[in-house]
Amino acid sequence: MREVYVAGIGITSFTRLEYPLVEIAAYPGLMALRDSGIKKVDQLYVANMGSGRINGQTGLASAVVDHLSLTPAGAVTIENGPASGASAIKEGFLAVASGMHEVVMVIGAERMREVNALEATDFVATLTHPLAEYIYGVTLPSLAGMFARLYMEKYGVTSRHLAMVAVKNHHNAMDNFFAHLHEEITIAGILDSPEASTNNPFVADPLRFYDVCPVSDGGACLILASADAMKKIRKPMIRLAGIGQATDTHAVHERKDPTDLLAVREAATQSFAMANVQPGDVDVAELHDAFTILEIAESEEVGFFKKGEGHCALEKGETKIGGKLPINPSGGLKAKGHPVGATGVGQAHEIVLQLRGEAKKRQVENARIGFTCNFGGFGNNVVCLTFIKEK
Amino acid sequence: MELNIYGYKCRRCGHLHYPYKTICKKCGENDHNEFDIVPLPKKGKLLTYTTLYNPPSDYEVVTLSLGIVELEGGSRITGQLNIKNPKIGMKVAGKVEIVRNDEYKKHLGMVFYPA
Repeated sequence: MREVYVAGIGITSFTRLEYPLVEIAAYPGLMALRDSGIKKVDQLYVANMGSGRINGQTGLASAVVDHLSLTPAGAVTIENGPASGASAIKEGFLAVASGMHEVVMVIGAERMREVNALEATDFVATLTHPLAEYIYGVTLPSLAGMFARLYMEKYGVTSRHLAMVAVKNHHNAMDNFFAHLHEEITIAGILDSPEASTNNPFVADPLRFYDVCPVSDGGACLILASADAMKKIRKPMIRLAGIGQATDTHAVHERKDPTDLLAVREAATQSFAMANVQPGDVDVAELHDAFTILEIAESEEVGFFKKGEGHCALEKGETKIGGKLPINPSGGLKAKGHPVGATGVGQAHEIVLQLRGEAKKRQVENARIGFTCNFGGFGNNVVCLTFIKEK
Repeated sequence: MELNIYGYKCRRCGHLHYPYKTICKKCGENDHNEFDIVPLPKKGKLLTYTTLYNPPSDYEVVTLSLGIVELEGGSRITGQLNIKNPKIGMKVAGKVEIVRNDEYKKHLGMVFYPA
């Protein structure tokens, strides 16, 4: 396989966007073309989860490739639940690594705010098992609630730890112009004060409002290129060095231990092995904190911390910017936002910024190795990426 | 007639699946794709639970309690809970009732009560 590098990046704000989905996809594409200084790509991949259902538009990639005037480049839409973004990056990687293409564009885009929050939640819930979960009223927050309940009981994680994840990620997002939520929060405000239960009501007990990511619109883009193509592109050599993907049972109840995220463990192991690095080598990571508990659980499953000790590292401030291993410097899904199909590409965008040293106030110093975990379903389809900055 | 939720028991290795799969998860049997359809037990213990404060829009309730139950014999099921103060590990007993009533259909599923 050939080596694959990131030639250009682009992103929109993750927020409520009042323009059509095809433009939400096209703008980060335009930014990435400008960033890389190239005008043509061989192939376009568009990651999106819900355009057919919530925006009434199918064949999204065909619309986007035309909007960017990149025809006759090949174009394909990739739907893989909330892991669509990193799944599309994997496909882009394979196309370049195989030698089939020199330069490909990977876009993730989603416009969820076209419908109300309940409809958006119901749309995401359609990824649960139709007969064994969905018909009971199971939504993603309820799966996360059941997961959190057992996790907290088993490992001594408390509501305070969950709130600490939210406080950290909201704080990080304050320095991210493109983040959905620019709102500094405190433990007192969301947990301890008399107003806390009003500020921060239960969503899926024991998870509260501030344990859950917002429903966002947004798009992000990565242009991937071969080493040959990079010679003409004057950009830092950020190599997509490792990719892992793994699946788990569709219905969560079928897992031997429902607090294990085996697909996360497997995908991370594959990704680190391919990149030839250890979890301890990672300088900065973006984990899929659609719910605060997931940042803690994933930080253990990918191998940063021992099982049951993720919350201790959080408590000690190791995952803050400036700590031993900063997690979610972008604000994470919790505060940066979660436009489902775009999220995996958004995570990679942040890692590339960090490795290039372009993350401004939220820059992690001397970051050389970056990692992302894009978590689809409730852990039934997970893609992990490892990026390395070369000299 | 007593209503049941059915599991799928592999004719080769006896592994009980719920929900249905085309190929047995345990023995990988794929020659003839044969499962015996057997009613799932109704008694079990509560593994974990949550109360949803914003249930999907076709539910005319304020909150909806859901849980994962380990049934006698070891198979598991996700179901609704009709339990005032649920606790991890408590004994529960299920009944098959209407669990969702959307514009097309009434869906039957397991609702658990304290045993």
